[in-house]
Amino acid sequence: MVNLFKPNTWFSPPHPLIIQNREAFAGFDQSRPLTEYTFVVCDTELTGFDRKRDEIISIGAVLIRDLQIDLGATFHQYIRPRSLRHTEATLIHRITPEQLAGAPPLEEVLPDFIEFSGNGLMVGHFVELDMGFLNIAARKLMGGTLANPAIDTIRMARRYRQILLGPFREEDDHSVSYVLEDLAREYNLPMFKPHDALEDAIQTAYLFLFLLKKFRKGGLLTLKDIYQAGRVGSLRY
Amino acid sequence: MAVFKGNDVHVVAPDVAISFFKGIMPFNTLDAETLRWLACHCRIDFFPKGTRLLTADTTELSYLYLIQRGGVKAFLEDDNGEVTLKDFRGEGASIGALAIIRGTAANLNIETVEDTFCFLLPREIFLDLIAKQPAFTHYYLKSFSEKIVTTAYSELRHHKVARRSNDDLYLFSIRVGDLVKTLRKVAANVTIQEAAILMSEHRVGCLLVHDPSDEEKIVGILTDRDLRGKVVAAGLDYNQPVATIMNSPVQTVLSQSLCFDVLLKMMATGIHHLAVERGGRVVGVITSHDIMLLQGHSPYYLFREIRAEQQIVGLYPLAQKIPEVIRGLIGEGAKAGNITQMIAILNDHILGRMLTLLEKEMGVPPVPYCWLLLGSEGRREQTFKTDQDNAIIYADPVDEAQKQAAETYFAAFAAKAIDHLVNCGYPLCPGEIMAINPLWCQPLSVWTHYFDHWIAAPEPQELLNSIIFFDFRAGFGEAILAEELRAHLNREIVGMDLFLFHLARQCMETRVPLSFFKNFIVEKDGEHKNRLDIKRQGLTPFVDFARVLALKFGVKETNTLARLKALMEGEQIQGELWSAASEAYELQMQQRLVHQLRQIEAGILPDNHIDPADLSDLERRMLKDAFAVIERLYGVLERMYPVM
Repeated sequence: MVNLFKPNTWFSPPHPLIIQNREAFAGFDQSRPLTEYTFVVCDTELTGFDRKRDEIISIGAVLIRDLQIDLGATFHQYIRPRSLRHTEATLIHRITPEQLAGAPPLEEVLPDFIEFSGNGLMVGHFVELDMGFLNIAARKLMGGTLANPAIDTIRMARRYRQILLGPFREEDDHSVSYVLEDLAREYNLPMFKPHDALEDAIQTAYLFLFLLKKFRKGGLLTLKDIYQAGRVGSLRY
Repeated sequence: MAVFKGNDVHVVAPDVAISFFKGIMPFNTLDAETLRWLACHCRIDFFPKGTRLLTADTTELSYLYLIQRGGVKAFLEDDNGEVTLKDFRGEGASIGALAIIRGTAANLNIETVEDTFCFLLPREIFLDLIAKQPAFTHYYLKSFSEKIVTTAYSELRHHKVARRSNDDLYLFSIRVGDLVKTLRKVAANVTIQEAAILMSEHRVGCLLVHDPSDEEKIVGILTDRDLRGKVVAAGLDYNQPVATIMNSPVQTVLSQSLCFDVLLKMMATGIHHLAVERGGRVVGVITSHDIMLLQGHSPYYLFREIRAEQQIVGLYPLAQKIPEVIRGLIGEGAKAGNITQMIAILNDHILGRMLTLLEKEMGVPPVPYCWLLLGSEGRREQTFKTDQDNAIIYADPVDEAQKQAAETYFAAFAAKAIDHLVNCGYPLCPGEIMAINPLWCQPLSVWTHYFDHWIAAPEPQELLNSIIFFDFRAGFGEAILAEELRAHLNREIVGMDLFLFHLARQCMETRVPLSFFKNFIVEKDGEHKNRLDIKRQGLTPFVDFARVLALKFGVKETNTLARLKALMEGEQIQGELWSAASEAYELQMQQRLVHQLRQIEAGILPDNHIDPADLSDLERRMLKDAFAVIERLYGVLERMYPVM
């Protein structure tokens, strides 16, 4: 809250990359064929889920172009948080405080990541969480949020299940797991080691590609079709 | 961890890609740096079940597809929409390699049969690997390249045959050239006594004999045994020239021959002194003793024990030692062709020794006879203990009395022989194709009549039952009888096209599997099976093919590899087809041998059923290539004997 009154963060013009980002999506067209979009499948590792306190400690991402995962276009970076104390999450991620201590701060990483993402649409497993943390950081460090529309693979998976079950079946959504690993197993996707930002991003990319092409086979050919059919994401976070 | 810098600088090679490449041939031969580089240039695509990936003659390939998860089928479709299934491919397999290499459009239609993830390797990168990495050329271009075959054999040996001890690999690593000692020779006109003195001085058991006018021209060999048998025992004047008692001509082996091959030659011919030749010159002599000195327990010792055995019952335990010897040979790296020859030689010696002792026991037979071996024994292709398939052919009796005597004698003789063979561990033939059956214990004239009948009026069922007779060979006794029968058959079969037609057609009835898919064998109609009958589906087609052509072209050999070689030499089949067929056949024999050896060691009765789940990628690849070779053999038969 203190920052609100600091003129140089609140009133100064946004970072050039943020301006560029806004311009890129100003006239965003949802009606093009799916193959024409670039998707940025990303995953962030966090110290916890508290948006006020917790921080991003790693970002992993991979691009999908022409509806193919491009292994030549990956992003993976550890980030030094302001506080290096042990948290429960660092145990899950198996990232040691030493690894983080040697990493650059988010101020340096975020612009790189925004540049990497370019005109791509963000894709994530529960992407709301990733976008939330990224935008808090972007607003604070770069004076504005990201304009990239985003797609959530959890919502896609839920929609896919509904389609498979058909309109007359009452879905018992609580009995099924939407954990990334469980979905990968259910759809017989190649498996990756969980809780590494890049591997999780690639795992999500496999899931996304699987679902997107299943939808496409069902006749959903444009991005708009996908959004409308499944309420799979949001144009704004 | 490197940092992303700008649009096209790639950061991390994902582990997923590297570990995928490490798990598949021939990418697993690449070094870590190349793999990292490859991984950064790959894309991953997903194709839901039922997606058409490639269309024959239409799709141009910009990528090599490598299946990471799922599977595809390959098929062709003719103008009438008739579909021919060509292949099933699963995880680790590639799609489009040949089209990229040849620079053509796809040659097959490819459609996913499951939800399928593929790695896409850009065409230029793949071509670059083909150009620079020999392993890639071998893998994609040559189905039976030496390198792959060698790897397949060593894989079979190392992964499937556990070593018992640190046996020396001498039989397969030492060449006879390394064993020969200083060459000692005498001129052919030197007296026997002078030669004997020379042998004593040099403390050698043999001398090479050369032409008196040309030292380089070796005309014979003289051994201790000749001095003993032909001179001392016979009371010969030892002022005679050595030429009168020497053995001539000298059997030679090349100095680069492996000890194993030389041992085989010695055991097959019974000649224990062979001249060693290098660059057209005889450089020394190799004796069985020289080789024996190198080894501990081995085929040769067993061979010696068999020959020295004085009691038939003493042969029983010796015959039981054969599998142990064979195991040693497989472990040492012998190929199936050698091993089956060795098995045949050992079995022949058991048989020969047993019948010799039996003759002693029962008295001299009334007429000369020959013990015939049929089927796989006739072809020298039996693996571990296989059923007895044998018969007796004897010289035509001159009168009724001799006929009666022969029938009585050979009936009793065969009954005892078969009994002893069972005790040696050779099970009875369930079809009773054995000398004990009066039908198959007959004089030459009856046998020629049998064959005339078989080839003149082929009834399909009768033909099937009689096939094993066509692979007969002499096992023991008067080989001339077997040779006469073979000569008769080869004479009579000329022009018997209907018979050969039926034989060819019967051969082609065995359906060739198409491919492997996951842990199944896929048949041409798409049916999946979880067992491969390596004998019926893998080996028999080669055996049948070789038999049809051998009969057609009058080849006397019965062994399949020898038949194929003779056919190649006679230019009845192309050299390239010959080498592919021989490699494919021998490798499958090896597979079968190793499979049966493992069963024997696990206390299971050996069979021919191979579970695809037990096969490595390379083994699958080799078997698949072998199936393709069978198709080519069928093609040859099809052209030769088309259905009108």
